[in-house]
Amino acid sequence: MKKAILYINQFFAGIGGEDKADHAPEIREGLVGPAMALDGALKNAVVTHTIICGDNFMGSREDEAVEKIMEFLSDKEFDIFFAGPAFQAGRYGNACGVICKAVKERFGVPVISSMHEENPGVDMFKKEVVIFPGGKSAAAMRKDTKKVAAYGDKILAGEKLGNAQEEGYYIRGIRHQVIDKTMEPASKRAMAMLLNKLSGQEYTTELPIPKVERVPIAAPIKEMASAKIAFVTSGGIVPADNPDRIQSASATRWGMYDISAEARLEGNGVYKTIHAGYDPAAADADPNVCVPLDALRAYEKEGRIGSIDSHFYTTVGTGTTEAEAARMAQEMIVHLKEHNVDGIILTST
Amino acid sequence: MVKEIEKAGFPVVQMANLVPVATTVGANKIVPTISIPYPLGDPSTSKEEQWKLRYHRVGVALDALATDIEEQTVFNVKF
Amino acid sequence: MKLELGNFHVKDARFGEKTYFEDGILTINKEEAIAYVMEDEHITSADIIIARPGEAKRIVPVKEAIEPRCRVSGGPVFPGVTGGIETCGNGRTHALKNTSVLAVGKHWGSFGDGLIDMSGKGADYTYFSQLINICLVADTDEEFERYEQQKKNKAIRWGAMRLSEYLGSAVKDMEPQDIETYELEPVSKKSPEVAKLPSVVYVMQPQSQMEEQGYNDLVYGWDANRMVPTFMHPNEILDGAMISGSFMPCSSKWSTYDFMNNPTIKELYGNHGKTVNFLGVIMSNLNVAMEQKERAAMFVANMAKNLGADGAILAEEGYGNPDADFIACYRALEDIGVKTVGMTNECTGRDGQSQPLVTLDEKANAIVSCGNVSQLVELPPMDEVIGELAALGRDGLSGGWDGDEKLGPSVREDGSVIMENNSMFCGDQVSGWSRKTMKEF
Repeated sequence: MKKAILYINQFFAGIGGEDKADHAPEIREGLVGPAMALDGALKNAVVTHTIICGDNFMGSREDEAVEKIMEFLSDKEFDIFFAGPAFQAGRYGNACGVICKAVKERFGVPVISSMHEENPGVDMFKKEVVIFPGGKSAAAMRKDTKKVAAYGDKILAGEKLGNAQEEGYYIRGIRHQVIDKTMEPASKRAMAMLLNKLSGQEYTTELPIPKVERVPIAAPIKEMASAKIAFVTSGGIVPADNPDRIQSASATRWGMYDISAEARLEGNGVYKTIHAGYDPAAADADPNVCVPLDALRAYEKEGRIGSIDSHFYTTVGTGTTEAEAARMAQEMIVHLKEHNVDGIILTST
Repeated sequence: MVKEIEKAGFPVVQMANLVPVATTVGANKIVPTISIPYPLGDPSTSKEEQWKLRYHRVGVALDALATDIEEQTVFNVKF
Repeated sequence: MKLELGNFHVKDARFGEKTYFEDGILTINKEEAIAYVMEDEHITSADIIIARPGEAKRIVPVKEAIEPRCRVSGGPVFPGVTGGIETCGNGRTHALKNTSVLAVGKHWGSFGDGLIDMSGKGADYTYFSQLINICLVADTDEEFERYEQQKKNKAIRWGAMRLSEYLGSAVKDMEPQDIETYELEPVSKKSPEVAKLPSVVYVMQPQSQMEEQGYNDLVYGWDANRMVPTFMHPNEILDGAMISGSFMPCSSKWSTYDFMNNPTIKELYGNHGKTVNFLGVIMSNLNVAMEQKERAAMFVANMAKNLGADGAILAEEGYGNPDADFIACYRALEDIGVKTVGMTNECTGRDGQSQPLVTLDEKANAIVSCGNVSQLVELPPMDEVIGELAALGRDGLSGGWDGDEKLGPSVREDGSVIMENNSMFCGDQVSGWSRKTMKEF
């Protein structure tokens, strides 16, 4: 029989309310609180342990809490991990998300949670954790538990899993292609959608427009005259032999190249672009149209800026996934920090 | 990339032609360029004109790096 | 304008002493056909190989697909391209159905080329696995681009066009098995019953990104980059006015065959006079500079409005920066009061997590999604490869690579491949055939 472990907070463990929110993480053999309902609902696994942690402990001492729990789990056998249901409780939702993500990364088991749609934990963790829509309060405990158990049972039985809509969990922003020879061709789907739209009837778009994430604005440069500026580009400008073999599309590699002795980027065989998504002629002839080193050197000479970083940083944007771009940027950032760069001009094509 | 760089605390300005893409992606400071294959210098114009445009827009980018903003801003260029 | 497409349904194709069509069999005099193709001295070697649905054949690099046809009146099938300028879409054209001529590189591929598997799992990824493909496999003297990633592929593509006309001429004087008639009255001359129905335009955005000529889609032989949106009769698109280009990552591509058989136009025709008043086609394009995109969107919206359109179907031949044109047109149409449905593919990355279009707008609230260019596809080896398999990994095709830390090379020693959907030949079928969509996982 397969094994499951559940994470709950101090309140649902019956330890206490707000006054006990600093409760340190612990693991108990057997079923505590909601684990009973989960164990009852699960057909293909037994819940062997319950992990309990105070919401404040997880909230303010996250690394410590996670490490402790990883230790608890390190000698346990388990095939699946659940957390919650967290209903509308924000700190609890955050805790469920944090622990599920950590367990998934460390132990590679399926992780499932449940939260009300307004719980901030949903948006924060839906990409990494499958989260089912839950009720507002503990009154929904049975219902929410049944949902996560049913999905868990499917995974444990090795059944073919449906998409988010079919299974009922929150849309995660992970979209894949589905070939269905029984489906109507796109021309007919478009016609039907248009007729509905024209007559004011309901229709369902196949591409819901996702919400855009904003990053907090970084503080501006105060002392430009002493600032060090670096170029980052997604235009694929590289030395002519592309020494790091950066791909022309769907890039997973990037490079940094020493320009400390260059007044400008020479074209016609010295530097070039390898980006396949645009006409390369202009950039090959004069790479400064994409990475304007010559202009920035002029500002350096005039004293408008303090200096230019010894290197510029480059990759190719077309077809490159956001995840790879983020990873590459994080790797570039290590060097930008080491080089004490104060500001960055990022050019894209 | 621009979001990761800004999350790490660096002031960053994106120079891009497709301003709607830059705004959607979430760059906070944006300076428009003139095209995709030649963002800062039209090869069908003279070297002087290309230089003038490039020098000006890079200057605007530097201004952007030094400017305090409240919300996503596309900076104006003169030419 | 009235177009009669006279259909001859091809059940099989084979080689023989003479080129003729009888009882569903297309017989081809191979020597004569090759000699005709090689009248263009730029073609240094040519062969014709037939690939049938269900055969264990893989075809790569495929640059173009064309339906073999002939113009009964004697003019060129592709006016402005294979002959002089004349109007398409009015008169009788004969077509060999269920078959297409493919332009295949003997060795050298390019960014926009694709792959076709005639059987197995790979066959699900392209429309062309269900056709009898007459493959023109050729090499050329175009040294200037032999090792370039972007190729104009002119000689091979034009060779395939000429071959398709040569084959089409076999049925010039014969009686078609059936005739499809396409007739659409002028915009201001509709009958009162038709005029009462909601008016609809089909807005097409063919690929025109390259600055230099020779790569972009052509409109009556004119480079689509060098135009602002214009109004066309749908018959013109069905009857040879549009030629596909040689640049677009292949799953997003509209081959010339796609234009000639565009199912969305046929769907609009089918509904004309019943549920909609089909006004015609607004032919836009996909230029690269932001200002050109804005200008095109403005033209499209104004034209749609002033034609009296209530609704529009908008389709883009591309992903990446063309998404900006798609959204710009969508927004402009909605802002001016034209209710729009979009047709496009997405690029959500191999992990499915990237933003589907590079630009977004809440106004684009009705979209039919045709597939994911980034989807990884792994396919077994095939008994026969038409063309050269190595091209997939070596020549910079959009969905192939020569080395990857995690996945290894696209082309493995045993002939199996791992690639992105990106290089499936016209795979996302955004012209309207797509029986694929995107789902949340």
